[in-house]
Amino acid sequence: MKINHSKIDFKNSIPLRHPNHVMKLDRLGSFHQTRLSFSRQLIDELINNKWNTKIIEWNINSDGIGNAVIKIFSKRKIYSLIVFCHQINDNERSDRVIAEKWDMTFSLFLGTPSKIELDILSKNLKIQELGRHIPKQLTLSRANKSVRIFNSVLNDLSNGKQPDKTLINNIGYLVRTTAVYGNGKFGIADYLSNTIDGTLNKPFQAEMLTVYLIRYFSIELVNFLAKEQGKDKAARLSDEISRHIGVGNATGLGMAPFLINHPKLIHKWIEAREIAISRVLSIRKLNKYQKNKILNLIEKAYLYTTQWKVDDLIQSKRIKNLRRELKKIFQNEELTNFLEEDFPLQNIYKCFENNISIESQEILNSIFLEPFPELINDLCIEMGTVEENTFPISYNVEKLIEIIKDKYNWALEININKTNENYFFWYTSQSKLEPRLGITDKDHGIEKQLPFDIPKQVQNALKILIDLPLEMTAAEAMILHPEIRSILKRVIINDNYNFSEIHNNLLGKNMRPIDLLRCKLSFFGASKYDPKSNLWTRITLFQGAPLPHQLKEDKASEWLFPYLVNA
Amino acid sequence: MALPIPRQCLNMVKVSLNEIYSETYKAYRSVGVEWGIAKDSAILSKWLGEYGFNFLGSTLKTIDLYNKGSISLSLIENNHQKPFYAALMGLPLVEYVSASKIKWQGYVYDYKFLIAAMAIIGKEQNINLILSDNKKTIAYTLKKNIYMFKEVMTKTEYFYLEPFYYKENTNIKALKPPRNSSVLDVNEKCWEKLKLLAFKTYVPESRTSKSGAGY
Repeated sequence: MKINHSKIDFKNSIPLRHPNHVMKLDRLGSFHQTRLSFSRQLIDELINNKWNTKIIEWNINSDGIGNAVIKIFSKRKIYSLIVFCHQINDNERSDRVIAEKWDMTFSLFLGTPSKIELDILSKNLKIQELGRHIPKQLTLSRANKSVRIFNSVLNDLSNGKQPDKTLINNIGYLVRTTAVYGNGKFGIADYLSNTIDGTLNKPFQAEMLTVYLIRYFSIELVNFLAKEQGKDKAARLSDEISRHIGVGNATGLGMAPFLINHPKLIHKWIEAREIAISRVLSIRKLNKYQKNKILNLIEKAYLYTTQWKVDDLIQSKRIKNLRRELKKIFQNEELTNFLEEDFPLQNIYKCFENNISIESQEILNSIFLEPFPELINDLCIEMGTVEENTFPISYNVEKLIEIIKDKYNWALEININKTNENYFFWYTSQSKLEPRLGITDKDHGIEKQLPFDIPKQVQNALKILIDLPLEMTAAEAMILHPEIRSILKRVIINDNYNFSEIHNNLLGKNMRPIDLLRCKLSFFGASKYDPKSNLWTRITLFQGAPLPHQLKEDKASEWLFPYLVNA
Repeated sequence: MALPIPRQCLNMVKVSLNEIYSETYKAYRSVGVEWGIAKDSAILSKWLGEYGFNFLGSTLKTIDLYNKGSISLSLIENNHQKPFYAALMGLPLVEYVSASKIKWQGYVYDYKFLIAAMAIIGKEQNINLILSDNKKTIAYTLKKNIYMFKEVMTKTEYFYLEPFYYKENTNIKALKPPRNSSVLDVNEKCWEKLKLLAFKTYVPESRTSKSGAGY
């Protein structure tokens, strides 16, 4: 059922959750995919604007080596995924970002490449970061086969059989990307409205489109190779299994600082999510369709958790709790009564909130948002932003002190002199050129640490500010004390954008970087988080999403909580 | 550390605006420029790149002089020998003048960075500022645009910067970035020098920091 949201009075929505509640790492690290996630936004775009996908070049041999071009186009726009498949040895295949060889290298290209452009790409794509790239390239990426599953699927298909569903579910992808670069890296196009117009000018849409097409390519590749090997007896992957195949990704610390370096953008993401939650919790009555949908989604979430299996002990325990708590909610006799009452979703949340884990609270939020695209999809356009380079000039010292005391109490309460609050330092590694975490009393390089010691900087800034005249402008204070310019600009951003700061000490011994990764990945729309330590995780993207030929199907946009029957 | 600045642009390399920003930011940090100021400087370099101005030689020179202790960040200590370095303090200065509504005057080195700073604050906050020398207007911001009257030079001159309350009657056009300005050609040697400076901010990984990080 469609909701005319102009008839919903958003002014009467319940207040947003407070940043002190939301911006803690344990909560950010419990987020799940929602309708607002970027992969979901991409699929909605492909559906709504009737995008078509076509393989226009396929020069892949029976060993899987060669190149291909996949065109994706709407009435107004054409992009191409350029693919090169390479011969590598098993011992050269690595998840590490500094690997030098990959099974496949990719670039999302603006328009259709000419022969000359393809020639340039053939020389530079395979060496990735070491190559120089051209401004028509919107992304740069590479992937390795998940050898075990790829070969097994290929073997089954070439013998005319569908692969084992349990294997498909346990791994979830045929290929795993080790990096997807965008926004001007290595000479590719900058993320600017004049280079990436309309379709892809929301956050991470070029990257998501790249991954979506890599997924399509991986399925087409295994089908092609099976046909080459099995000839007439070969089978193609069934739609059911194909749809459950996503793209794997190994994500490490490189992603974590993004959340600290883009305070306004992070605010936009979190605020959109919180507004969406507030809107759905403010719904007074549900119709029959919506009630059933909520019940179905709780059950679907439960089923999803039964197929979410990881080795990590902490995450395993969390999944086990999540499964138990979802079952408890679903089996609660009051649940159907709640759905009949006024403010049903708010009542369900309030009833269970104090008795369930944060992981379960946040999966409930994903469930609640799902049936109401008409109510929340307008928020997607608010999730991008331009970070300003100057601050509003009206601020003075008095106001800065007031903001710090009011909004940075979490930072002022931290005893920055304690050893445990200075346990880690962040730096950029020489070998990977990516952010890494050092241990203060063990590792060298603290003099080059990145400025993620926000509580310390805030406390130092406050000490300086209280000695300055209250009426002095913030601009003058920054001229006199350039050493606090960076943190004062953050403070001013936070005054206008409440969700711009993570309310934890990122140097503290108890900090889990995996929570930073999970937060960002949830906005990408990742599923099946599979932490390999506190520092990196494997995930799956686009598992359950419609394939290009399924985009016109009814309910194609509904793919939360992928579940493979009989897996 | 003295950095010889190549004067000829023989071999060029294409770089994106994002690369200009990130490498310049790190290069300033490599000589200890404060985080906030290094970021401002990178923002100004990126703007200059986008609008087709040379920025790389000036940036390298500024970094070199800062490293030698020849540059002060103070606005008070200003003379021809120790001028205001717009590449470093351009943004704080335009914010200060805008917030305090004062007329600032002094020696400025490489004022194209000051023009960049004026353009940025003009666009973001719709603040009108005017930059002039002893004789005439050099540039001003109006209705979020920047207008320039003089070919940009890289030398020390005496300038006045102040808020601007009236509309100039001129026929000049607002400065716009050239088409396809998201990728530009820069001197390869200079670029490599900048990247080498940026590289100094990186740390060799230790065994403990590697453990569990995807290895």
